[in-house]
Amino acid sequence: MHNQKIIDHLFRHQYGKMVAILTRLFGLSNLELIEDAVQDTFIKAMQLWRLKYPENPEAWLTHAAKNRAIDLLRKVKVSDERMTKVSYGPNIMAIDDLFLDHEIEDSQLRMIFTACHPSLKTQDQIAFALKTIAGFSDKEIAAALLLKGETVKKRLSRARKAIQAESIAFSIPMGEQLNTRLARVHEVLYLIFNEGFHSTRSDILIRKELCGEAMRLAGLLLKKEALRCGESYALYALFCFHASRLETRQTADGEIIDLKQQDRSQWYMPLIKLGNEAMNKAMDHEYISDYHLEAAIAAEHLNASSFEATNWEQILKYHYVLYDRNPTAYSAMNLAVVHLQLGQLKQAHFMLSQVQADKLEKRAYLYHGLYAEYHHLKGDNDAAVNAYLEALEKVSNQTERNYIEQKMQALLA
Amino acid sequence: MKDFMLIFISKSYQDMGLSPEEMQSRMGSWWQWNQKMEAKGIVKDGNPLHPNARRISGEKRTVTDVTSAELKEIVGGYYIISAKDIEEASQIAADYPDYDIGGTVEIREIIVYEG
Repeated sequence: MHNQKIIDHLFRHQYGKMVAILTRLFGLSNLELIEDAVQDTFIKAMQLWRLKYPENPEAWLTHAAKNRAIDLLRKVKVSDERMTKVSYGPNIMAIDDLFLDHEIEDSQLRMIFTACHPSLKTQDQIAFALKTIAGFSDKEIAAALLLKGETVKKRLSRARKAIQAESIAFSIPMGEQLNTRLARVHEVLYLIFNEGFHSTRSDILIRKELCGEAMRLAGLLLKKEALRCGESYALYALFCFHASRLETRQTADGEIIDLKQQDRSQWYMPLIKLGNEAMNKAMDHEYISDYHLEAAIAAEHLNASSFEATNWEQILKYHYVLYDRNPTAYSAMNLAVVHLQLGQLKQAHFMLSQVQADKLEKRAYLYHGLYAEYHHLKGDNDAAVNAYLEALEKVSNQTERNYIEQKMQALLA
Repeated sequence: MKDFMLIFISKSYQDMGLSPEEMQSRMGSWWQWNQKMEAKGIVKDGNPLHPNARRISGEKRTVTDVTSAELKEIVGGYYIISAKDIEEASQIAADYPDYDIGGTVEIREIIVYEG
């Protein structure tokens, strides 16, 4: 049998590229038309390729997109109103030029910056980015973000409306505006990555895809000189470091494996290397961002040959800088974790006392879990069990529930 | 050996809201099925069909153009395969990849003129 294989995610990635290129050509006002057109191209590919794969699938798709663009151009030209947009836009450039690699990247970056425009709400930005740039369907976004399909539809339509209403330009902003918007881009990518990395869903595939997309887009930022700032490098390093141990955080059945139990030999070296390179570049820049610190913490964990060899003192320092900058509940809980590792019970208790547990919502179980750990280390197992029981009351996710139950059972045994 | 037509009936892909990822994996399943049949020399012919149709009906030869959106189900494609009997043809059709999205395979034996 002829065993040819299409690259993983080719369609998904190509979708984002095509939508971006065509948007460059026809403007954001035609986004819906564009998305439908690209969808049609894939349906055609899906039906034709079932019989025979093309020699070069990527080129086939690009070619199809180009033809589709020309088709659209004819259609759009029929309408005078649209005609003006097409001819006065920055898109007099020959169509062929738009399909050069660096122009494709440029178009994708414009789309990322569009998604992160301040007139869109954060949650809508994430949904829109996943749809338009990462090529997720409504259903896939709902599954990835644990939302109802209706909610996703609402967010997407709100994002599209905001883009139309504000007549947002399909461009990368310049000057001071660039800094603000780039910070927003970082934040949105960070949130997408975290959805994948910290979600406790048992479906490792969806998690990998979210992390993978965030990484891919963060990598895209680094291809453009104006965007290669310390934060961009640090964010990319952080993603690489975290992603290198994504697979070791869960058993095949989806059960959680904590850092202590993870098989360190399975951490993925090529990603760690990539992360180190990015981190070195990040350190060339003077300003130390939160991403720098978070990446440095992740690197400390990766550098430890065993859990016992972890340099908790150093990690504590980094966490304190983060806490001083922004004393959030999570930041305090992170500090409590490290103090507990160092056997500094008093300080751990102090940090936990800074947390307003009722404001933690979905993650309140983490707080009670930490208290349980604290009581246990203090030698008060009854109080520890009670805290675990409270954690169990608050936890909604089955995987987390199993994990907490196991820890509690260990105390009762 | 007899010839059978496998007729694939489902909603049109255009109206299913499949994601690029789903399309790629579905395309892969179809491709594998096709490869499997080709390797056994079962397939005689087969093609996907465009979703839009023109219907001509009645003595007046009334012409209607229908789009897939107006129809619950369309014939999305066909294969002509050779098999020993309808049972064997059914086994072959069991690999059709679109059952999970509400697809149906209709198996029809082709009448051969025996002169």
